[in-house]
Amino acid sequence: MAIELHPLEQFAIERIIPIHIGGLDLSFTNAALMMTIAIVLVTGLTVFATRAAALVPGRWQSVAEMLYEFVGDMIDTNIGHGGRQFFPFIFTLFTFILFANLLGMIPYSYTTTSQIIVTFALAAVVFILVTTVGIIRHGFHFLSLFVPSGVPKVLLLLLVPIELLSYFIRPFTLSIRLFANMLAGHTMLAIFGGFAASVGFFAFFPTAIDVLLVGLEFLVAVLQAYVFAILTCLYLGEALHLH
Amino acid sequence: MSDEPPDPLARLGDRIDKARAERVQRQPTAISPSTTQHGLGLGLRIGIELVVAIGVATGLGWAIDRWFGTRPWGIVVLFFFGVAAGMLNVYRAVTGITAPVGYRQPNEGDSQAPAVKDKWDDDEN
Repeated sequence: MAIELHPLEQFAIERIIPIHIGGLDLSFTNAALMMTIAIVLVTGLTVFATRAAALVPGRWQSVAEMLYEFVGDMIDTNIGHGGRQFFPFIFTLFTFILFANLLGMIPYSYTTTSQIIVTFALAAVVFILVTTVGIIRHGFHFLSLFVPSGVPKVLLLLLVPIELLSYFIRPFTLSIRLFANMLAGHTMLAIFGGFAASVGFFAFFPTAIDVLLVGLEFLVAVLQAYVFAILTCLYLGEALHLH
Repeated sequence: MSDEPPDPLARLGDRIDKARAERVQRQPTAISPSTTQHGLGLGLRIGIELVVAIGVATGLGWAIDRWFGTRPWGIVVLFFFGVAAGMLNVYRAVTGITAPVGYRQPNEGDSQAPAVKDKWDDDEN
């Protein structure tokens, strides 16, 4: 029997419940299902774990408290003063990406963060929030972000476009980093899995590599959620403390 | 700086000294991340920064050329701007200064006198 290898097949979007409204395809897809599961799990964990909050935390309560403290520390060290007001946002962002990444590690599930539209939507929300916060906080003065002071006027012609570019590139770097890491990792897993299935006797080697890769992928899943959240913190902190 | 020396050169020397002192203070905490987790995060962060900057800028240049018929100048100019912006981002990520020129990231929890920062918002370039 010939084994067909489709390493990218795992990323295909499938419509589970087709919904079409006015020419728009609003179908409930497998990606949407996994996002819903991630949200339900996060909400379930935080609500369920703190329902019977004890002074000495139980197993689930410690998980929730660890998550909470981790995000809290991240905000305190990276935003600093006035950062706690963004705690709900950062916590939601971090736990959602973390759960979406980790859920993708379950065989036969779907990795939503491997879709660039998902990560780009998240990054766009971050970008709009940061810009809005900066403008509300500092008004017109926020634009001084793009004008390095103490530089000769002629050089400004060159530097302001560079500053603008490096600012507007943020949503792209933020989204492409997460998406590319997840896509590449899962594709690699599938490719080596395909090798293992097709080489017969020597299947040991690709399988061993796959085992190692799974470990790496778990690391990447957690780390990318962390990176996304920490960069959001840095951007927010910068918009808050212009001067 | 209430008692400014009249000589502009002396003032400049003063400024340079101050900027240097600030940089020395900042460097150790920024360059050596305290935890491996932080180091890994940093590494993964900057990996993609340069590539995306160049890609997005070049794409923008291509689009400008299409709209305004300025081939090939938009793509040429914006490519170099993209390179510059990417390098700037990488440099800032590595030195712990994610903010644009002069705005220091409060990594150390705002411990270094914020009063100094008002006068020193241009010590980067």
